Amino acid sequence: MKNKTHFAFFDEGSKKEIRRTTLKAVAIPGYQVPFASREMPIARGWGTGGLQLTLSLIGKEDCLKVIDQGADESVNAVSIKKLVQQTTGVELTDQTEDASLIQSRHRIPEVPLTEEQILVLQVPTPEPLRDVEASEYVTKRLHAEEEYSGAWLLLFEQIMKYGKTATGADHPVYVNGRYVMAPSPIPRFDNPKMHTSKALTLLGAGREKKIYAVPPYTDVTSLAFEDYPFTVETFADQACHLCGANDVFLDELVDETTGKAYYQCNDTSYCIDRLNSQEQVEVEHHHA
Amino acid sequence: MPIDQVHDLQKVYRKLLDRMARPGKLANLQAFQEKVDYEVACHDATLLIAMTLLDGEVSFHVISENKQPVEEKIAAYTLARHASMEEADFIIVLQDATEASIIEGMATCKTGNLVDPQYSATWVMESQTPLSNQPQLLLTGPGIERQTDLHTSFAPSIWQARSEAVQEYPLGIDLIFTDDIMQIACVPRTTTVSVQEVE
Repeated sequence: MKNKTHFAFFDEGSKKEIRRTTLKAVAIPGYQVPFASREMPIARGWGTGGLQLTLSLIGKEDCLKVIDQGADESVNAVSIKKLVQQTTGVELTDQTEDASLIQSRHRIPEVPLTEEQILVLQVPTPEPLRDVEASEYVTKRLHAEEEYSGAWLLLFEQIMKYGKTATGADHPVYVNGRYVMAPSPIPRFDNPKMHTSKALTLLGAGREKKIYAVPPYTDVTSLAFEDYPFTVETFADQACHLCGANDVFLDELVDETTGKAYYQCNDTSYCIDRLNSQEQVEVEHHHA
Repeated sequence: MPIDQVHDLQKVYRKLLDRMARPGKLANLQAFQEKVDYEVACHDATLLIAMTLLDGEVSFHVISENKQPVEEKIAAYTLARHASMEEADFIIVLQDATEASIIEGMATCKTGNLVDPQYSATWVMESQTPLSNQPQLLLTGPGIERQTDLHTSFAPSIWQARSEAVQEYPLGIDLIFTDDIMQIACVPRTTTVSVQEVE
């Protein structure tokens, strides 16, 4: 027998607890507020934090978009979408501009977000100081004392080793000039999108039991040194081999027959959108 | 028709969250007006917020000249515990609360500690006059693009007490305002409030 689940999977008590935590997170931007992360029907580390936020937020009138590394169709995105859709019956979309709620694993969409949207990011490691300090007891105190030498030292070591800051993703940011925050493993390319964003950004770490937030119109500065300023990934003179976009985050792929590298938009819905509009132009041109 | 604990309170929460993220912006809960047919001597919006946020895991404190009936009703509807000013997670200020009692409350309520700033009180404050964006208080800070105006019935001395409660950021209190035409607005601890000269 298959039991009918409650709306949005959670009992109301769980939603209330997550909602209270989220409000506190918004009031203290960048501070990781502990919460009682629930057991979910997906494994911890697979987006349970983001999923719990989404379920606490979602209502019947919402339109949900879920992306996984820029793709709407990959396994993680599809399973989360199915779970939410089956327990709420909400509309799903892959168009960024149509969504009222966007849950994302490791990308901020290329299309700028609006004031009516909420971005939920899945976070594996919410603690930016974890690489320098293993103890949660200690890192909480380092945040309390605004003692962020460790985060600076990590970047400094990268400069010593590689001649530049070499964070692949999750480059730490200062939020509202107070807390150093892990922006989740988004590429550096996406860090500037968080700065004074029009949309509210919520970050959820299910395994680590933390919720934190960046309210709209809030200063988010990537950590950098005066002589080594913050830079985003560049794709020198490369463009998407499908749609031709060159001002977006690109994936580097290798053609297996020739061994040559080629590039493709990481945000699949953005790419398809561009292709469709190009095709529209071609069709109109052809019929004219 | 009673409030739908699942879908109505979800909508209230979304408005509340959006307004907490955008301090000073007003939200209207009038869509639920007919559903709030509970005989509680507080603003309908106050009751909706209490039902959205309170349950058996948290405590609340009411500031009012005649608080007992409201305390009992809120405890009955939400199962939240009543607690002293020093311990309460939520502090509900009714319309008839005196200036002195609010100021005293802001000095004694929880503001969190540096390791756990979330252990602080959230205030739900009933404005005697309708909330509006008329000039009275000038708000700036996270969530506000440039600046925004807010008008409440609370005296400058109360805003002074609030400033003192939030001056050691990240410690502080977060305020939710309600009025009798079912509007709400929020002022979290990050917002800088300056009282404008009036009259």
